[in-house]
Amino acid sequence: MDRQMDLLQGTLDMLILKAVSLGPLHGYGVLLRIQQISGEQLEVQQGSLYPALYRLEHQGWIVSEWGESDNKRKAKFYRLTAAGRRRLHFETEKWNRMASLIAVILRTTSEEI
Amino acid sequence: MNLLARLRSWLKWMMERPRLEKEMETEVRFHIESYAEDLVRSGLSKQEAMRRARVEFGNIESHKDAVRASLGLRLWDELWSDLGFALRIMQRNPGFTLVAVLSLAIGIGVNSALFSVADALVLRPLSVSRPDEVVTVVGKSPSDPLGGISYPDYADIRDRSKSFDGLVAFTTTAFGFAARPGELPQMKTGMLVSGNLFRAMGVEPELGRGFRPEEDQVPGRDAVVVLGHDFWGTQLGEDGAILGRTVLLNGIEFTVIGVAPERFTGMDQLLRPTLYVPLMMAPRLDANPARNLLEQRDDRGLEVKGRLKSGVSLARAQAELVTMAKGLERAYPVTNKDQSVAVMTELQARIARDSPDSGMVAMLMALAAVVLLVACANLASLLLSRARARTREIAIRLALGAGRMRLVRQLMAESVVVALAGGAVSLLFADAGAAFLSRIRIPTDLPLVLSIKLDQRALLFGLAASLLSAVLFGLVPALQASRTDLVSALKSADADNSGRQRLWGRKALVVAQVALSLVLMVVATLLFRGFHSILAGGPGFRTDHLVMMSFDPKLVRYSDQQVQQFYKQLADRARSSLGVKSVALTQVIPLAPNQQVENIVPEGFQLPKDRTSAAVFADSVDVGFFETMAVPILRGRSFLESDTAGAPLVAVVNEALAWHYWPNQDAIGKRFRLNDNKGPWVGIVGIAKTGKYLWVGEGPTPYLYLPLAQHPQPRMTLVAQSFGDDPSLVASLREMVRKLDANQPVYDVRTMSDFYQMRAVSVPMMINEVVGAMGLIGMLLALVGLYGLMAYSVARRTREIGIRMAIGGDRGSVVRMVLRQGFNLALTGLAIGLVASFAAETGVNAIFSSTRRDPLAYLIVAPTLLAVTMFAAWVPARRASRVDPTSTLRYE
Repeated sequence: MDRQMDLLQGTLDMLILKAVSLGPLHGYGVLLRIQQISGEQLEVQQGSLYPALYRLEHQGWIVSEWGESDNKRKAKFYRLTAAGRRRLHFETEKWNRMASLIAVILRTTSEEI
Repeated sequence: MNLLARLRSWLKWMMERPRLEKEMETEVRFHIESYAEDLVRSGLSKQEAMRRARVEFGNIESHKDAVRASLGLRLWDELWSDLGFALRIMQRNPGFTLVAVLSLAIGIGVNSALFSVADALVLRPLSVSRPDEVVTVVGKSPSDPLGGISYPDYADIRDRSKSFDGLVAFTTTAFGFAARPGELPQMKTGMLVSGNLFRAMGVEPELGRGFRPEEDQVPGRDAVVVLGHDFWGTQLGEDGAILGRTVLLNGIEFTVIGVAPERFTGMDQLLRPTLYVPLMMAPRLDANPARNLLEQRDDRGLEVKGRLKSGVSLARAQAELVTMAKGLERAYPVTNKDQSVAVMTELQARIARDSPDSGMVAMLMALAAVVLLVACANLASLLLSRARARTREIAIRLALGAGRMRLVRQLMAESVVVALAGGAVSLLFADAGAAFLSRIRIPTDLPLVLSIKLDQRALLFGLAASLLSAVLFGLVPALQASRTDLVSALKSADADNSGRQRLWGRKALVVAQVALSLVLMVVATLLFRGFHSILAGGPGFRTDHLVMMSFDPKLVRYSDQQVQQFYKQLADRARSSLGVKSVALTQVIPLAPNQQVENIVPEGFQLPKDRTSAAVFADSVDVGFFETMAVPILRGRSFLESDTAGAPLVAVVNEALAWHYWPNQDAIGKRFRLNDNKGPWVGIVGIAKTGKYLWVGEGPTPYLYLPLAQHPQPRMTLVAQSFGDDPSLVASLREMVRKLDANQPVYDVRTMSDFYQMRAVSVPMMINEVVGAMGLIGMLLALVGLYGLMAYSVARRTREIGIRMAIGGDRGSVVRMVLRQGFNLALTGLAIGLVASFAAETGVNAIFSSTRRDPLAYLIVAPTLLAVTMFAAWVPARRASRVDPTSTLRYE
């Protein structure tokens, strides 16, 4: 458990967009995909996935439709929309800028001031 | 940016909520079961896997709630449940609901009904497209701040002004209308209009077309007419084949080119023109060839309205037009001296023109608002006491973590539901009120329609009034209730620690109710007594045994000489008819809407600095007028046959005029100039008693009589005094006119007593009834308020009263104690109300142009109200005295 990191506030949306950008997924699939790409490092509170999914759909960034899952059951699959793709791009840019900025700040030593 | 997506999603949820909720359920189950399957695969037992899956998923319901919140559904759900809760609470307290809803319904109903009157008289917008852009241009001169505009001035302004998208001119005129040659012409009121009227006002004819630009160019060439919708329906049976047909107007053939649409009812709120003719036809229609309104710059008879260009303010248009008027004054110093213009909104123009009507309407609306306030006080008072009864419930909910705003919202939902229910029930009252008020008729043959109806506007007004009362009077109790002090509220046995303060609020409301209802009743009494004394005083002329009929021989194109000849014969023959005692000819009938004004320059009188003449109401009458109408000549003489056109000009003035211009002097022998300071001198030969000329409530108004022989008029009214049998006299006079000229149209045939009843008596009586009803309603509502408070306070003090009686207090002392409380409240209310009424009396006096106070009104009303309020206190007091000490003390 110690090795796992809690999600930063507001990053779940971005991760979900990223996960479904790689192909349509159902809710559980999104969870698995995030855990998989993070190398099991991220802990996502399972239930909180759904408010996020519905919110993204509400905003028109993803759409859902019912289909059949691997285990031959009815499941709701989410897919990225064009608007969602733009959003993901925007969020990624923002995140990268922020991360490098923070990194610069944290790297600062006393001599540099 | 993604507002549309969110709206679409929200709507989807609104429409298909059950299905989507179920899908959410399925989705969550799928997640948990899939996870459980994966766990089983990793070696857990099936049960253990399911348990872990559920635990790791977290609280399903709270996640679902989070989903709903993220979709904007929670607010909706809460509102919905608030409303449901409010309805259940109302259902459980039928007494509270009934009183609150009925109080509001009456209050709002009164307001909606009176709004429909105000709307019909003053507020309703013009029936043109985008009426808010249309403004009125009036002529302003030292003698008349609300004058008309002449055609040449209009044309100059129209062509040069940059402020308007279409400036139109029109005037109301009588036409002799005949559908085909040889038919007896009828007097119809129509409009001469500038050719751009329909286009500029955005009025699309229902049939045919409006005027073409070239039909507004050449005087007298294009004899075309557009019919009004009402006229087309009632007179021509909506005949679709009327287009292209020829009709006769003043004997001239006109081609019907169109029919106005039904929604277009003319250019003011009352008059519905029967037909519209281009102004260019005015010279041909007018039998007097010397009068050409198209060319005479000082013939200021047109009304002008214009559509402001978008972005042009009233002030800018006004500034532009004033500059142009100055230019016109320089260019035409003779005709346009001191002539300016003013631009006003439609509402401003109406209020300026009909200030008595507007004043009356404003007073009635103010009284109605007071009734609503009294009603709302009941609602607020009830809500306050309800909030107190629920202190404990509210405290518990707050303790459990309910948000304050959430509670306020819920309490507000209740008052909104009550208000809306009140608004719905108010329709019954409003409808009855509007039906009663629409009995007001304007007594004339003119197509004046006072259309009082509960239309969309009145309904919207009612809805707004309901919601406003809910917010104003529900918010304070709600806020107060949510501010409960938790600890003490939960600890105390009857949860009433802040009761004192709340009772204070209710007391203040009851005091206000008593005060306001006193004002209502005092005003009602003042009006009643005022009208009563006016009507008892009489109008200053005979109202019985008179029959009247009006003529306009110009409609059948008589020359001036023929007109005079006609009237002479008419009077002579009428005088010698059987059953006629005396006969008079007069240009106007007192109290009729078409009063005439003359400008005079009285000798030796210092006119106000900016004025060159004074406008006075005037009438041209023949020698028989004063005797027939029973208007006493106090000094000097009446008109004589010898006051002919060639003789020295004479006049009879009333006492008010004599006193105003020659105070403390004998006006007989004094002179004035007619029209302006270059006009002819007129000598005063008689003083008549001052009567009523515009309406029965007016103060002494200066009035001028001119002899008909010296001031011949085309439109006159014949007044005949009968020996008793009015109806048969009407018939024989009609027959007499027919023999004189079979083609002569006769209009406004009626008896003076009918006319007086309609014009002078019925409207004040109706106002009396309305105001009286409002006074009673106000009193009743205040009664309910006081009763409610006393009953409530007695119920709260049951234990205290029980103890008092157990230790030896008798019933009388209990009754006295409760009565004293009620008495103090009522007295405070009365004291405040008396002060307010005293101020209101000044307003009422303005209606009667009087300054006299009427102490009797207060002496009648105040004790009555006190007695009634004491009764309201006595009923609960008696109940209190019946309290059984043993049972109350055993309680708990």
